[in-house]
Amino acid sequence: MLKVALAGQPNCGKSTIFNMLSGVNQHVANYPGVTVDKKSATLKFQGEHIEIVDLPGTYSFSTYSLEEMVAKTFLLDEGTDVIVNVVDASSLRRNLYLTFQLLELGKPMVMLLNMMDIAERRELEIDIDKLSKMLNIPIIETVGTKRGGKKKEILEAISQAGKVTIAEPFKIDYMEFENFIAKIEEMISYESTISKRWLAIKALEADKVILEKVNISKDTIKDITSNIHAKYDLDVDQTFARVRYDSADVVYHKCVKEKNQDLDTLTAKVDRIILNKWLAFPVLGLIIYLIYQLSIVWGYELTNYTWPLLATLKNWAITVLPPPELNNVPMITDFGIWMINSAIALLNYVPIFFILFALIAILEDVGYMPRMAFILDRVFRKFGLHGQSTLPLVLGGAFVGGCAVPGIMATKGIADDRARLATILTVPYMNCLAKVPFYTLLLGAFFKEDMGLMMFFISTVTLFIALIVARLTTSTVLQNRETAPFIMELPTYHLPTFSGVILRATQRVWLYIKKVMTIVLAVAVVLFVLLQFPGVSAEKNIEFSQQMDKALVQFDKKVQKSKYYEHIDEASEVSALINLYDSYKSQRMLAGSKAAVASLDAAFLAKSPELFPLVRPQDKDAKKVGKAARKLSKANKKLQIAIKNEKITNSFLGMFGRALEPLTQYAGFDWRINVAFLSSFAARESAVATLGSIYEKGKSHLSPEESLAQDGAYTPVHAASMLLFMILTPPCIATMVVVKLQSNSYRWMLFAIFFPTSLGVILSLSFFSMALQFNWSGIELMRNFYLSAATLTLILSLFKTKQSGWQVGKSQ
Amino acid sequence: MTQSVDPSVYLSDLQKNQKGIIRQCSATGMLKQKLLSMGFIPGAEIIVLRNAPLRDPIEIGIHDCLVSIRRSEAALLKVEMSC
Repeated sequence: MLKVALAGQPNCGKSTIFNMLSGVNQHVANYPGVTVDKKSATLKFQGEHIEIVDLPGTYSFSTYSLEEMVAKTFLLDEGTDVIVNVVDASSLRRNLYLTFQLLELGKPMVMLLNMMDIAERRELEIDIDKLSKMLNIPIIETVGTKRGGKKKEILEAISQAGKVTIAEPFKIDYMEFENFIAKIEEMISYESTISKRWLAIKALEADKVILEKVNISKDTIKDITSNIHAKYDLDVDQTFARVRYDSADVVYHKCVKEKNQDLDTLTAKVDRIILNKWLAFPVLGLIIYLIYQLSIVWGYELTNYTWPLLATLKNWAITVLPPPELNNVPMITDFGIWMINSAIALLNYVPIFFILFALIAILEDVGYMPRMAFILDRVFRKFGLHGQSTLPLVLGGAFVGGCAVPGIMATKGIADDRARLATILTVPYMNCLAKVPFYTLLLGAFFKEDMGLMMFFISTVTLFIALIVARLTTSTVLQNRETAPFIMELPTYHLPTFSGVILRATQRVWLYIKKVMTIVLAVAVVLFVLLQFPGVSAEKNIEFSQQMDKALVQFDKKVQKSKYYEHIDEASEVSALINLYDSYKSQRMLAGSKAAVASLDAAFLAKSPELFPLVRPQDKDAKKVGKAARKLSKANKKLQIAIKNEKITNSFLGMFGRALEPLTQYAGFDWRINVAFLSSFAARESAVATLGSIYEKGKSHLSPEESLAQDGAYTPVHAASMLLFMILTPPCIATMVVVKLQSNSYRWMLFAIFFPTSLGVILSLSFFSMALQFNWSGIELMRNFYLSAATLTLILSLFKTKQSGWQVGKSQ
Repeated sequence: MTQSVDPSVYLSDLQKNQKGIIRQCSATGMLKQKLLSMGFIPGAEIIVLRNAPLRDPIEIGIHDCLVSIRRSEAALLKVEMSC
């Protein structure tokens, strides 16, 4: 197999080339031990297997950045046969800087001169033959955004290059350094396919990875470099860089003719608007608003169309599982429905995620992301974040509802390690979409008049909290994390390709489904056990079956005289009738058109010719039975809810909730609220569902809001305290999985769980107690909380953050 | 071309549309490597293109590329102004 490494500087269009070569047939994983994406693809060309690995984009091969380390280690260890160097033709000079270092490796190489269209627009005339001769490698012109095109030609060149053996690697004359390089070369006994000269050069640059490989101590190199410094007054790193740039300059001037000296490119024109002092913020606001509108609002509407599909899945599962016999629901059925519900609660977000991921991919391809960081860096830096934290926070729900999962996934591009972790830890504080039903439930029940104001408090206070938390973590637990300089290229604007965007969005959605779903389902199993066992006591069980029997007797009395009695004179038949009634009702809800209803009726009639006429009665007798069945179904449902309540009360989770009550009562939470919060870990939706089912109590004529308000146990102050806790509540399981994925550490995941929980408990405790002490109303509690958060944010912004490392003053 | 040699001018002191040549870099470690690989080497020509809307960072042009850099980092690069 021919191993090919795709290397190039950031923004050179490398991933487009990779997509073109590999198609959908790619494999995404991580490089060992780090969170850098490793994309690879295996393909067959003229009977030969070729494996292509897309290396992270790097400007150079120094020791400091993670991407450069990963790329270098890969080239050293993986026995690469051919290097494909993608080069941005419109900034050839700087790209050659990396090309030289790749050539020095002494491996066969193919250069893809990409973005020829932009070079042409800038009227750069590149003499490709000359360039190819000077560097002694084959060169292929490409336009990354045009599809297909040169795939065959490129693969041909790769396969040709695989047959070449390099006798004498490309050499740059480092002048004064040559003696030292030769000396180090003699010291190296390490055998590899990589040129010894390259290893010696890197060793002289004091590259940690290489020094370890070739077994030369740091002190030896230090002696040599100080020797050089004393003898020639030259700084080693700077001289290497200068010689490479000078050589690049020579090659550039021999091969490129700049016909137009005018630098007023399209990018410059667009930037004049997008980065304009006055327009930058309105444009940024508009773009963020558009993302929000397209993904969250429209995506949410889209789920109205995808929901029936998921509901069909659920209905199908119900028909497969063993049917319940009235109030006696088999455990396996209960379990199956629980699992399906947990799965579809998450699958429901797939349309939103897909749109979000596609929009992010577009912004990335266009080149707006670094510009967004450029505009906002000054604000975020004050709190230890980075300009690039903007998008993750927006996706997490800086407005009324987002999702922390794509938010945290979008932190990948943040170069500054400390800011990246701080962003990962703060995104979960944003308002997630699934919290919104909980808010509306409580607001509808207790703050009907002031809903708007309360919603404003809730949605904006999260941003203050996020900034405070970011500031606190970066100056404490994250203090010693590495920060990175904010030296960032603002790339030329590009039109994104449709296929590239769709491919990336699909990859990310798939990652979400694969990684998140498995863990959420595992947790759902645990939660199910915690909610089901030890179960209802024997006496209670008897009481429930007595109630059921009573309802059955009543039903029997009503239908005795009907001519259909022979079909329903046994308990199992009645049970079948009730199941049929319930299942018809739920499927009928999904059938929109008249034709759909007709075909549904026909299907049901065919399946149960005797009972269905009673569900959809035509004659008087059947109507009577149908009415009785409806009543029985209702009674049965009521009883099932009572059983479920009893189960939750007796369950392990219920016990846990009660055990917490002595503490949480000071925050105004009784055990029922505790259970609701505990179950919300699996997915936030379950908070509302659990709360709903606990309070449902069969009072079906009341909405959940009304039954909560009329329950009498809670006042608006309680509600405000609950809202406060919910604002701070820890991330759901899906978010935790992504925190683990992106931080690559279970410790940070645990921190992401326990820190917000403790903060939530402490704050809701203290604010609830203060509210009781000073007789605050619910709104006053929320307002005071809001004002304290805002004030603290303002105070923190006045302090300077430590920018460890490079605030060394001006020397000499 | 007239050159005003002022030994204490740093990249952060340059105004919009002012050009200069990098003379010295007093950064160390990662920042130095990053600067070198992006082409901030003695002798490189630069032009300040604009300030960010909040005045920091700044955008500069170097080797036909656009690069953004914080003022605190630009303060480590000594430049020679050219008009």
